[in-house]
Amino acid sequence: MVIADAVNTAIIGKGLMIGGGFIGPGIGIGLIGGNYLQAVGRNPEAAKFLGQALIFVAIVELFGLLAFASIFIVK
Amino acid sequence: MIGGFFSLLADSGPSVHIAPAEVFQWGNFSITNSILYGWICSVVLIILFSAVARRVTVKPKGGFVQIVEIGVDFIENTVMGAFDDKQVGRRYVPFFVTLFFFILFNNWLGLLPIVGEGLQTHNGAPLFRPFTGDLDGTAAMGVLTMVLVYGASIKESGGLFKYLRHFFVGSPKNPLFFVIGLLEMFTDLTRVISLSLRLFLNITIGEIVIAVFAYLGHVAAPITALPFTLLEFLVAALQAYIFVILSIMYLAIAVNHSSAHPEEESAEDAQGLTDGTLPETMELKAGKA
Repeated sequence: MVIADAVNTAIIGKGLMIGGGFIGPGIGIGLIGGNYLQAVGRNPEAAKFLGQALIFVAIVELFGLLAFASIFIVK
Repeated sequence: MIGGFFSLLADSGPSVHIAPAEVFQWGNFSITNSILYGWICSVVLIILFSAVARRVTVKPKGGFVQIVEIGVDFIENTVMGAFDDKQVGRRYVPFFVTLFFFILFNNWLGLLPIVGEGLQTHNGAPLFRPFTGDLDGTAAMGVLTMVLVYGASIKESGGLFKYLRHFFVGSPKNPLFFVIGLLEMFTDLTRVISLSLRLFLNITIGEIVIAVFAYLGHVAAPITALPFTLLEFLVAALQAYIFVILSIMYLAIAVNHSSAHPEEESAEDAQGLTDGTLPETMELKAGKA
C-alpha cells in the first residue's frame, strides 16, 4: 500500500513487462540465427534456407510484440 | 523540408498512437486516417501497376518495370515451389502477388514524412496513418487470406466433410484422436490472429520507434530518425514477405494434404523409370480412387 502510494507502480510494471517479454524472443532469435549460421558453415548448400529461417524468426518475434502490445493495457 | 516535418513531433513528448483517429464522417461510417491512406495507396498501386503491365516486354528494358518483374517472379517461384501440383499452384499466384505488393506499398509509403504527425487535421489528429499500422486493416487481410485458404482447401479436398476429416489423424471415434482433432481446428483459427497481429504490431512499433527518436533528436530529428527509418524499410519488406509466405504455406499444406488422388506427374515418373512399377501404380491409383 505504502509503495503503491509513493511511486507509480504502472511504470515499474511496464518496465518489467518489456524487459521480461523481450528476453525470450531475444534468446530465440539468437538461437535461430546461430543455428542457421552453423548449418551454413557445415553445409554451404543450406544457405538457400534463409527464407525458411525467417519464418521461425517471425513466429518467435510475435511473442515479444505481444509483450510490447500488452504494456498499453496496464494503467 | 523533412526537418520541418519531423520537428513537429518534438513539441510535447513523442506522439504514440495505437488506434487510428477519425478524420471525417461519411454517412454512418467514420472514415479513419488509416483507411484514407489505404485508399490513396491503393489508387497509386492500381495506376502504377496498370502502367507497368502495359510496358512489360519479352526483352526486359530495365528500370522500374524490371524491378516489379523480379518481385512477381520471386513470389511466383515461392508459390510454385510450395505446391506439389504446379497447375493448382498457378491458380493462386495472382492473389499472393497482389497481397505482397499491397502490403509492401502500404508499409513503404507509410514511412514518408507526411504520414503521422507531419500533416494534421483540425482536431490535431494525424491526417494519414499507414493502412498496415491499423489492426482493422491487417485483420481484414488476415481474414480474407484465411477465407481463401479454407475455401480453396474445401474445394480441393472435395466437400466440407472430407476437409474436416483431415484434422483427425486416426478414426474420430477414438476419444484421443477426437480431442486432438478439435485442438487442431482451434489452432487453425488462431492463424488469423497471429497473421494480423504480427503485421500490425511490427508496423506500429516501427512508427513509435521513429517518433521516439525524432523526439529525442529535437532539432536534429532527421539525423536521429533516419537510421530507424532505414531499418523500418527493411522490416517493412521482411514483414510483407513473411505475411505472404506464411499464407502460401497455410494454403499449400492444406491443399497438398487434401489432394488425395495421385497426380499425373508421379505416374509419369514411375513410367519413365521402370516399366515394372507401372502396374503397381495403376493399382494404387485405382485403389485410392
